[in-house]
Amino acid sequence: MPELTVVGKPIQRVDAEEKITGQAVYGYDLVLPDMLYGKTLFSPKAHARIKRIDTEKAKAYPGVVAVVISEDAPWTHGESVKDKPFLAQGKVRCIGEPVAAVAAEDEDTAEAAVKLIEVEYEDLPVYTDPEQACKPGAVEIHEDFDKYRKADFIIKGAAPNVAEHFKLRTGDVDIGFKQSDVIVEERYFVPIIQHAAMEPHSAHAQFDKESGRLTIWVANDAPFRALHEIAEALGMPKEKIRFINPFQGGGFGSKGGLKVEPIAVALAFKTNGRPVRVKFNREETFISTLTRHEAVVYAKTGAKKDGTLMAREMTIYWGAGAYAEKSPTVCIRGSLPAPGPYRIPHVKVDGYAVYTNKPVAGSYRGYGIPQGAWAGEQQMDEIAKRLGMDPIAIRMKNMFVEGDISYWGEQLHAVGLKETLIKATEAIDWGKPKKAAKPGVKIGKGFACIQKPTRSPTTSAAGVLVNAKGEVTVLAGTVEIGQGCSTILSQVAAEELKVPLEKVRMHQLDTDVIPFDASTTSSRSTYHMGNAVRRASIHAREQIMEAAGPMLETKVQDLGYANGKVFLQDQPQQALPIGEVVRRKLGIHGEVRGDGSYTYEIGKDLDLETGHSDHASAFYMYATQAAEVEVDEESGRVRVLRMSAAHDVGKAINPLNCAAQIEGGVVMGIGSALHEELVIDNTGKVRNPSFLDYHLVTSLDTPELIPIIVECPEPQGPYGAKGLGEPGLAPTPAAIGNAVTDAVGVRVYDLPLKPENVFWALQKKKKDAA
Amino acid sequence: MDKRIRFALNGKPVTREIPTHRLLLDLLRDEIGVTGTKEGCGTGDCGACTVFLNGKPVNSCLVLSGELDGAEIVTIEGLKIGPELHPIQKTFLQDGGAQCGYCTPGMLMMSKALLDENQNPSEEEIRFALAGNLCRCTGYAKIVQAVQDAAAQVRASGKTEDRR
Repeated sequence: MPELTVVGKPIQRVDAEEKITGQAVYGYDLVLPDMLYGKTLFSPKAHARIKRIDTEKAKAYPGVVAVVISEDAPWTHGESVKDKPFLAQGKVRCIGEPVAAVAAEDEDTAEAAVKLIEVEYEDLPVYTDPEQACKPGAVEIHEDFDKYRKADFIIKGAAPNVAEHFKLRTGDVDIGFKQSDVIVEERYFVPIIQHAAMEPHSAHAQFDKESGRLTIWVANDAPFRALHEIAEALGMPKEKIRFINPFQGGGFGSKGGLKVEPIAVALAFKTNGRPVRVKFNREETFISTLTRHEAVVYAKTGAKKDGTLMAREMTIYWGAGAYAEKSPTVCIRGSLPAPGPYRIPHVKVDGYAVYTNKPVAGSYRGYGIPQGAWAGEQQMDEIAKRLGMDPIAIRMKNMFVEGDISYWGEQLHAVGLKETLIKATEAIDWGKPKKAAKPGVKIGKGFACIQKPTRSPTTSAAGVLVNAKGEVTVLAGTVEIGQGCSTILSQVAAEELKVPLEKVRMHQLDTDVIPFDASTTSSRSTYHMGNAVRRASIHAREQIMEAAGPMLETKVQDLGYANGKVFLQDQPQQALPIGEVVRRKLGIHGEVRGDGSYTYEIGKDLDLETGHSDHASAFYMYATQAAEVEVDEESGRVRVLRMSAAHDVGKAINPLNCAAQIEGGVVMGIGSALHEELVIDNTGKVRNPSFLDYHLVTSLDTPELIPIIVECPEPQGPYGAKGLGEPGLAPTPAAIGNAVTDAVGVRVYDLPLKPENVFWALQKKKKDAA
Repeated sequence: MDKRIRFALNGKPVTREIPTHRLLLDLLRDEIGVTGTKEGCGTGDCGACTVFLNGKPVNSCLVLSGELDGAEIVTIEGLKIGPELHPIQKTFLQDGGAQCGYCTPGMLMMSKALLDENQNPSEEEIRFALAGNLCRCTGYAKIVQAVQDAAAQVRASGKTEDRR
């Protein structure tokens, strides 16, 4: 490979200056001319039939322009199950479900008017526990499930309220357990948490009757999919709909799909062409956007005396909440790799996505991996303990290496797991004597390994424009959600066109002009869009060289390309800057456009009976994270002292950005490990919908962070790159859990590791000893 | 009830007739159209809306417009020193202190407030000063680094001025 000049360098973010000066305009900031203000009425009931809605008083309130209920917007949507109404139809299925909305001349009026809408409900049984909701005899939350339009991979379970049943079958676990010398079996629990991106949710919409066009301004990280979903729901041609992305203040999985958008759209059809803004405040964002799946994980693992894994059986209940959203795919892609990155001859996994009357669960940084790892990686330590083995040794013995056939039937390549394990554990002085602890405090170390697939197959397309000044504009549908994609993609274009990074600009994301991209999810962008931008840049460069041939009076094959110039190979001083070539060929306002796209071919689809696939994912991310913690034996309080995080990124296109992604993921994971929990009572009400009561990690809570980059190149990735957005979070809770056990000798099975959970585990140990 | 208020915003006089209960945050963002100040929670828990009110950092979501007559307000748009970025802005760029950037304006204002009072803060003092400013992207490491580096710059420039 020729020497890289921009790729691989720790370059400062290209979008930072707008952000540090306050110039960047986010979705929540947007004020449009003649805009109306929307306000939403949310259901106060977790499961109820709507007997009556009366909007007359709200409609009559001075300053109100429109009031909408489901009759005004009788549409449904959903990524793989079309189960979610724009506004509640006939019944409500969770507290916080949008029931009605108002558009008014100002915020105060909208707020006053929405309170005047009267709704009469008739209560239905409320299910807040996924295991209860799928017991025989439970009332169906979606009684019309069979009638919904849905994707062909949806397998409704036999039990009530199961929106998806994923099965993985390899070997015969009964035989595997019979052949095992030691078996451990346990129930683990991971509670609901929330993304809590700092920018709350909002959407702006405008419908122009004359052109029949609908425009939506929203910080949505999958605008093309959102556009498709709205077009499909409304029966509108896609070209009549336009999405424009302002800056986005974080996402972590919460801002794909449709949440505020349907409400804004429903109102926009009733405002006579005026744009309408619908904002959710923080409390509304907590109850009416998305959460991460709670999961009940039953795990059983068997191994030989020498530590060889023989069998692993897992049953996972994924709490979907009131609507399917991404639950079917979280269930599939979270359950499939849940047994961990190990060679296991006998594997059985059953994943169930179960409707409940709680807020809707959806994609969340890590997409099901943290839940599986919380169970699987703690169980690895338990097996090691029973066998008197070192936790590193048991993993080294069983972990995936290059060329292994995984338990889902895929031959693996570019497996950098072993190096991550060695480096992460070394970084916290594994095996060396522990630091001295204060009285009443114990210190422990632990680690966890993960594998993370990416959503496959998917497509990214890109355009690259080169103008007569030699400036480059990248047209890419990847959303800058803070992950740094605009920097990474600019680096790719600069590298291929050999221009300084300052010459490259990202075009704003507008679906009218930007080529298709599947989504900014699943850690897929660097790999997929990186490839697309690279191809588009090469395509532009080829056209420029083609055009330069006659200008330099030679054939293309005699030309060279360097430093943004085309030159004669045997007379390098005879050179033309690319801008000059464009100007001479197309004039001063001309632009050469290169196009490129990348699709990962999946081959055969996942076998629905066995869960097997020979290409389940375009690439796999591997990581090991190791924690050193201290545990207060009296209060049960856990503090993380330091945490290393070694990630196989394939190739670090920007090491500074890689470290930033790892650090952010680790700290988000620490929150989910120690204190984050959306508390929902048995009536379905969220008890802590504010930052005062839902504790995010603050600057005082973070330990020493040790990000480590491992590069095991992925042959299909741009320059060997894979992805990195999600895996920083995934092994964090399990690593901390293992460290807590190392410190105080008790295991806590339910997240978070809040003081009372650890305290009671310590009390139980004392009692058992006495 | 509307009230006529006059105040200085980033050094420029502003006059508005607005309901006294209008929050300073909404006044800035929706009425004046200066949106660099961010709304993260509206309840004083996240610090994204931090601005300077008469020289002190405040959560603008907790300030009523009725209190503003005669006040001096500085927002992120007024952080630059003339055409120059403030040292804390420079080090946020260089160290990668911003990711999604939504908490950044509040984080910068609070960091400036710290540096105004303490040009040689310890890591602990920085972390304590920023404890009311939530960030979901960075894990804070690069933010703390940026404040440390800015403090060094502020100290260095102070010394140069002393010599003159």
